[in-house]
Amino acid sequence: MALLEISNLQVRYKTKRGQVRAVDGISFQVEEGQNVGLIGESGCGKTTVVKSVLRLLPRTAENEGIVSFEGRDLLTLERSELDKIRWKGIALVPQSAMNALNPVIRIGDQIVEAIQAHEPTTRKSARERAAELFELVGLDEQRLNEHPHQFSGGMKQRAVIAMALALDPKLVIADEPTTGLDVLVQDQILRQIEEIHRRLNVSVLFVTHDIGIVAETCQRIAVMYAGKIAEYADARPLFERPYHPYTLGLMKAYPSVRGSKRELVSIPGSPPDLVVRFSGCGFAPRCPFARDICHQEAPEMVETESGNWAACHRVGDMDQLRKEAGKAVTWTQMAANQL
Amino acid sequence: MDLRIFIVKRLLLMLLTLLVLMTITFILFRIAPGDPVASMVSASLNPGARESLTRSFGLDKPMHIQYLLYLKNFLRGDMGQSFYYRLPVTQVLRPKLVNTLVLVGPATLIALIMGVLLGALTAARRAGKLDLFGTVIPLAIKAVPPFWTSMIALLIFSYRLDWFPSAGLRSPGHAADPILEKLLNADFFHHLALPLTILTLHFLAQPLLTMRNSMLDVQGEDFVEMARAKGIGERRVIYHHWIRNALLPVASIAPLMIGAIVGGQVLVETVFSWPGLGREMVSAINGYDYPVAQASFLIIGAVMIGMNLVADIAYAVLDPRVRLE
Amino acid sequence: MEVQPGHERRRSPHHTLLRGLRSLFKAISGQLNIVGTSRLGRLGLAGLVFFIALGVFAAYLAPYGPYEHVVYPDGKPATLEPPSRAHPAGTTLMSHDVLSQLIWGTRRTLVIALAASFSSIFIGTNIGLAAGYFGGRTDNILMRITDVAFGIPFLPFAMVALMTLGTEDIILIAVMTSVGWRTPARIIRSQVLTLRERPFVSVAESLGASSGRILYRHIAPNILPLAFITTILFVGESALVEASVSFLGFGNPESISWGQMLFYCFASQRMRVAWWWSVTPGLAIMLLVLSVFFVGRTYEEVVNPRLREW
Repeated sequence: MALLEISNLQVRYKTKRGQVRAVDGISFQVEEGQNVGLIGESGCGKTTVVKSVLRLLPRTAENEGIVSFEGRDLLTLERSELDKIRWKGIALVPQSAMNALNPVIRIGDQIVEAIQAHEPTTRKSARERAAELFELVGLDEQRLNEHPHQFSGGMKQRAVIAMALALDPKLVIADEPTTGLDVLVQDQILRQIEEIHRRLNVSVLFVTHDIGIVAETCQRIAVMYAGKIAEYADARPLFERPYHPYTLGLMKAYPSVRGSKRELVSIPGSPPDLVVRFSGCGFAPRCPFARDICHQEAPEMVETESGNWAACHRVGDMDQLRKEAGKAVTWTQMAANQL
Repeated sequence: MDLRIFIVKRLLLMLLTLLVLMTITFILFRIAPGDPVASMVSASLNPGARESLTRSFGLDKPMHIQYLLYLKNFLRGDMGQSFYYRLPVTQVLRPKLVNTLVLVGPATLIALIMGVLLGALTAARRAGKLDLFGTVIPLAIKAVPPFWTSMIALLIFSYRLDWFPSAGLRSPGHAADPILEKLLNADFFHHLALPLTILTLHFLAQPLLTMRNSMLDVQGEDFVEMARAKGIGERRVIYHHWIRNALLPVASIAPLMIGAIVGGQVLVETVFSWPGLGREMVSAINGYDYPVAQASFLIIGAVMIGMNLVADIAYAVLDPRVRLE
Repeated sequence: MEVQPGHERRRSPHHTLLRGLRSLFKAISGQLNIVGTSRLGRLGLAGLVFFIALGVFAAYLAPYGPYEHVVYPDGKPATLEPPSRAHPAGTTLMSHDVLSQLIWGTRRTLVIALAASFSSIFIGTNIGLAAGYFGGRTDNILMRITDVAFGIPFLPFAMVALMTLGTEDIILIAVMTSVGWRTPARIIRSQVLTLRERPFVSVAESLGASSGRILYRHIAPNILPLAFITTILFVGESALVEASVSFLGFGNPESISWGQMLFYCFASQRMRVAWWWSVTPGLAIMLLVLSVFFVGRTYEEVVNPRLREW
């Protein structure tokens, strides 16, 4: 049994303009001790996935499908039962740690609060635990008494990681854990998460737009586009032989954090408006390899190699397409055609 | 910065404000119609009494000496003698101050508590953009001057329905002496009900609207979501993270609220003939009783400055970031 | 640092003034267009336009003069007459027509409210600009002065000041301004503090622009929307203040305002019999202030959602 198993999750927001199909039937799993990357551009629905796992969606959102954690469906669980799983089972390192800490409460107290909500410990021992956690992430324990505004961006991020580890969770969801930090700090934070993963044997679900981050930290990767999974595969084969043109594009579009030299080309165009229903493949309008069928029919997930999947009509031609995608001109020409 | 340093700084500022207020008062009353003696000493006193008062206030001395004497006398609690009552001003104003406080104190407390609660409640209910208790009523109250609401309340509840007395603090002949008995009886509450209600309504409109807005703002903040994700229980999320942070803007508008409280008090006292400081000041000005007008102005100002100090400290306690400034 | 006028190319002062006025007008009409986008905003604008029209055309709209004694056909004074066809809002104890007084009063209420708002915002904005831009000691001094100003109880201060200085309208406006600047000073300062960090300021600085030029050419236009909204809200606030001051008997007895009507009504002790006398002016105040609130709300929702009053 997988630690976290998401099957056919759908999330729709009601807005003034109509229904937004933010997540449109996605499935993936996180096994115990495994790191999984969920990657995609902003607006592809990845943060919505995170929020529906922890049931943090606003009331305007409706969801369907199953999010099962250790065999229990989080979407239908009673509120009190859910609160027991939150943080103890699944902890969150949120997008922008800047705003994730309550500005008027001492950071130590915010960690203690989480510990005491789940474990019948005294305040003193919860406090000691918080001090250990601070040491683990390389912060001075004296700083537990400080308020968030006294911390720098990188320190806040560390504090949030310490908080996430407070209860030895089985799974940590790291939602864009390095956004807004400068490159040096990004690197430190990533090393820290890796080390924690090794030492504590916690599973991490990395949610990011930066394909470079997941390349080195994750064993399995799900690429998300316009509310759907485009490709879902083990990390090594995915980087060696991607089977979806969007994955090819992402690899060209982002520099690696560790600074490998690549020619950077952004994918032309922008993600589709999710209010408008479209019949074909969501990526087709931006895809240099799209055929007529891509605009008419949504592709099914097909198994490309054992255990690896991609949703593309042209999976069969991929050897050829990979070569073409390697040339920058393929993408720039596409951009020119769109103008 | 340390909270203590913050408080000391604010205390110093408060003293400076008091000094400025006293200086303004000194200047204004010196340029009042008539000679400076007329502003402190009644013309109707006999010459001997006039002379001794004139001397004690140094009104025959140069301006800067007068100013220093004025400061000294006021700090010692000597505020001169009322032209109208022929009594020391402190003696005239002490009961008025008590009467004002029994009205404004409860009104402020009730308004603050109810405003915050109603603001939180109407925001949590999310009854649309415009709901009756969350926006319509407080806005309508904010859009009219307190004296008009008082007049309308008199018109309806006193003149038409005859539920409440229309003026004063107690019925004639109900003159009990010990202060406890004075304030703790049915007749007094009967008189208090209407002005208290009106004042409370006016005081609560702004905190209610501010609280409601800030609840809606804070609701979407990441740290509230984070608190929820920690599984600490919804009750704790609401009280410790949502409401606690939503209170900050309410504390930050305190100077506006305090201004409204002082103004509202004067107007409501006037309409309900409530024998308080505000009404006394209005009649002292209209009757050219300068010492009383001057002293009541300074007392009202001092109370207001004190309220500002309390609000400042409350804000600094609530929000550690404020102490930085 | 000292504030210097921006070094303009040679141009007659007259021309500059005209240009400035035109751009100000353009800016204001642009701001008003924003308000027109919501129903609430249009309602508020309609209310404001209605009252302004009432004030401007009072002479044509009011059936009687503000202090004209109205009489019955038989020549007897029409005293305390309830609303009727001849007097839709009734008459007063002094046999004045309430509706006419209301229409005439609109003019004075608006003039005082507008004048007091503009002058308060003008002073407050400049103080806020200087404090926010220069920072350091200038900021510290200006903000402590502002703190002190917040310690002055406005209504009692106005009473004392009007008693000693006289009750002319211009004095009332000056008194309202002398305290009114404190709120915009604080609001504008905090806005300038955030603007100061924007790249365009450091670019202008590195190009050697004088601080005066940066302040009035680069920063001031960016706080215009905020100053505008503060002015609008101040008009409502000032109308309430004017009414309160007049109600306490410190109005100018030679002219009429809504607050004064209520003062006469209350002082005559005829409230019990003449409900129309007290109800009508109060409703006018409420409608005017609500219109202001609606415009302000709509505008803030669009421009600066963080600074809403309600």
